[in-house]
Amino acid sequence: MAQRRVPTIDDLRVKLCYICREEERYDAPENPPRAWTHPCRCTLVAHESCLLQWIQSSQQTRSRAPNALKCPQCSSPYVLESNNPIILRLLDAANKGLSAIGKIVTVASFTVVVVSIGTGMYILCTTYGAYALREFLGPEMFDILLSDDPARWPWHSFINLPLIPLSLIMSRLPTKSSITPLVPVLLAWPTSTPIRANDSIILDGWRNPFLRTDPREFLHPLPRWPPPPMILGLFVFPAVRQAYKRMLGNFTRWLLNSNTPHGQDMQRVLNGNDDEPFLRIRVNANVEEDVPIGQANVNGQPPGQQGLDANNDNEANAPAGDAVAAAENTIRVSGTSLGRLIGGALIIPRISSFMGSLLLRLSKHSKILRKILAVRPPLPTGVVPPAIPRSLFNGKAWSEMSLLKRISYVGYLGLTVAWRGTMTWAECDPVWWRNSLGLGVFVMAKDCVHLLHLWLTKRELESRRVKNRSFEDVDVQELDLINPSVYS
Amino acid sequence: MASISARRLRKELNEINVEGCPAGIKLLSADNFDTWLFSIEVLGESLYQGEVFKLMFRFDANYPISAPAVQFVVDETRGAPIHPHIYSNGHICASILGTEWSPVLSVSAVCVTLQSMLASCKVKERPVDNDRYVRTAPDNPKKTRFQYDGDTV
Repeated sequence: MAQRRVPTIDDLRVKLCYICREEERYDAPENPPRAWTHPCRCTLVAHESCLLQWIQSSQQTRSRAPNALKCPQCSSPYVLESNNPIILRLLDAANKGLSAIGKIVTVASFTVVVVSIGTGMYILCTTYGAYALREFLGPEMFDILLSDDPARWPWHSFINLPLIPLSLIMSRLPTKSSITPLVPVLLAWPTSTPIRANDSIILDGWRNPFLRTDPREFLHPLPRWPPPPMILGLFVFPAVRQAYKRMLGNFTRWLLNSNTPHGQDMQRVLNGNDDEPFLRIRVNANVEEDVPIGQANVNGQPPGQQGLDANNDNEANAPAGDAVAAAENTIRVSGTSLGRLIGGALIIPRISSFMGSLLLRLSKHSKILRKILAVRPPLPTGVVPPAIPRSLFNGKAWSEMSLLKRISYVGYLGLTVAWRGTMTWAECDPVWWRNSLGLGVFVMAKDCVHLLHLWLTKRELESRRVKNRSFEDVDVQELDLINPSVYS
Repeated sequence: MASISARRLRKELNEINVEGCPAGIKLLSADNFDTWLFSIEVLGESLYQGEVFKLMFRFDANYPISAPAVQFVVDETRGAPIHPHIYSNGHICASILGTEWSPVLSVSAVCVTLQSMLASCKVKERPVDNDRYVRTAPDNPKKTRFQYDGDTV
């Protein structure tokens, strides 16, 4: 039985490529010949080169790749035969693997950069925090509570110290919050136990000759001088700061109250934020309020030193050159104020320490000031007062107590420490106290200078007159005078 | 020897001239092998009765390996048909113009497909994301990566 012959591509009378739509008749073969293929189950045929081009281009596009190897009409799959030796497949796989590794490396190096920048910032902030603490507490207390050796630092210093510069900067931000720059210092450190330095002993005992405060007195509920640091940090300083701000605002308003529009400008500046008023006054002096930048240009005024917002709104109207100049100016202005903000914040501990020592020097001449500052002579070398005198737990009183009584006793002790600070704080020379007062004095002095500057500026603006001249250089004939005969 | 795209387009144009366009479709201009314009209307019962639209084909040198860029022309006299897959700037969200394109299709086949897409429309409305898309759309609809949702052509 003869098998039926199945026709193939070579038996077609006319071949029509479904891709390029070129025809080829069997009796007029192309020269040079091009290969034809019938890759599927339907009647579509194509030049092999056309089809390969289509498959290749489809495979290169991810969204089209699923359709690359099947017939668009009958959907039957194309079978590709190629010279694909094992080495090529290995190389392909290696290539894929390498690009995957490359992605991991990219992510990893990015992470390393971020982490190292973060670590750098952390170390920087922590170092600065230690420096600020030293300035603020004085070297004696600093050596007892923290020392220069980070290996001995208490665990909470690694959270607290880097927060110090941040809170200093925060306290200068124009928010309405009442964060005082001293909060991280005055909240965590008063309860911190002293670290034991190698060459010093933490003193203890019922009546130690070195200790100037009786341990029993330490538990006394009545206020002590200087006031307990935690209460100061939590309540007194924020309240004083808030009250001072309000008073200063009222005083400023009263001082600068005037009828001129310039005065009102300054009022607005002052009411907005008192952190950078000098700068702002200059900004305001150059730019008329509510005048669009286009108009300002017509008037020949420099468009620079506008606020950033105003710039963005009017950028389209302003000529390109002016817009660039304005942008540069804005950057310079904001850059200056940012540097001023951060620099001003970070110098606070130094100022505070400087003012503290100034107060200390003044106190040599004033008994009252000495009382207020509660200055104490430095502790003998190598002596470290304990956080809580252990002697409180010895002795007769303690051993006779019932369990309940002991618990309440310890609770009371803990509360006292939390509110009033440890024995260490009570024993050391309260440098922190005079530094806090000094900082307050400095802030007041600074505000006074600032107010003086504002007031003088205001006076200058109000006193402006245009100088009057005579008609010296004009021909008298040209003037329409009331009484010409007098001048001729 | 002219490029493959030009030769294929010449053949398609020849076919159109000899056999004529499918019913409801007219060739407006095909002066070069870059841009062709058609007018298209839906014959018989449909939501678009009496409306005639202008369809623009743009070809690149890789046609027919790469799909033509097809869109409705929006000008002073004509707008794009209001259809859930046609944006008001004339761009068409149809899979045969993107992932489902294949060289077996042709200019007139695309016209017919779009015609039937209009004919089968049940609600005259714009795509939900029309405003957002039109605001940011590229000039050439082929640069858009449409998400084809099911019931397209």
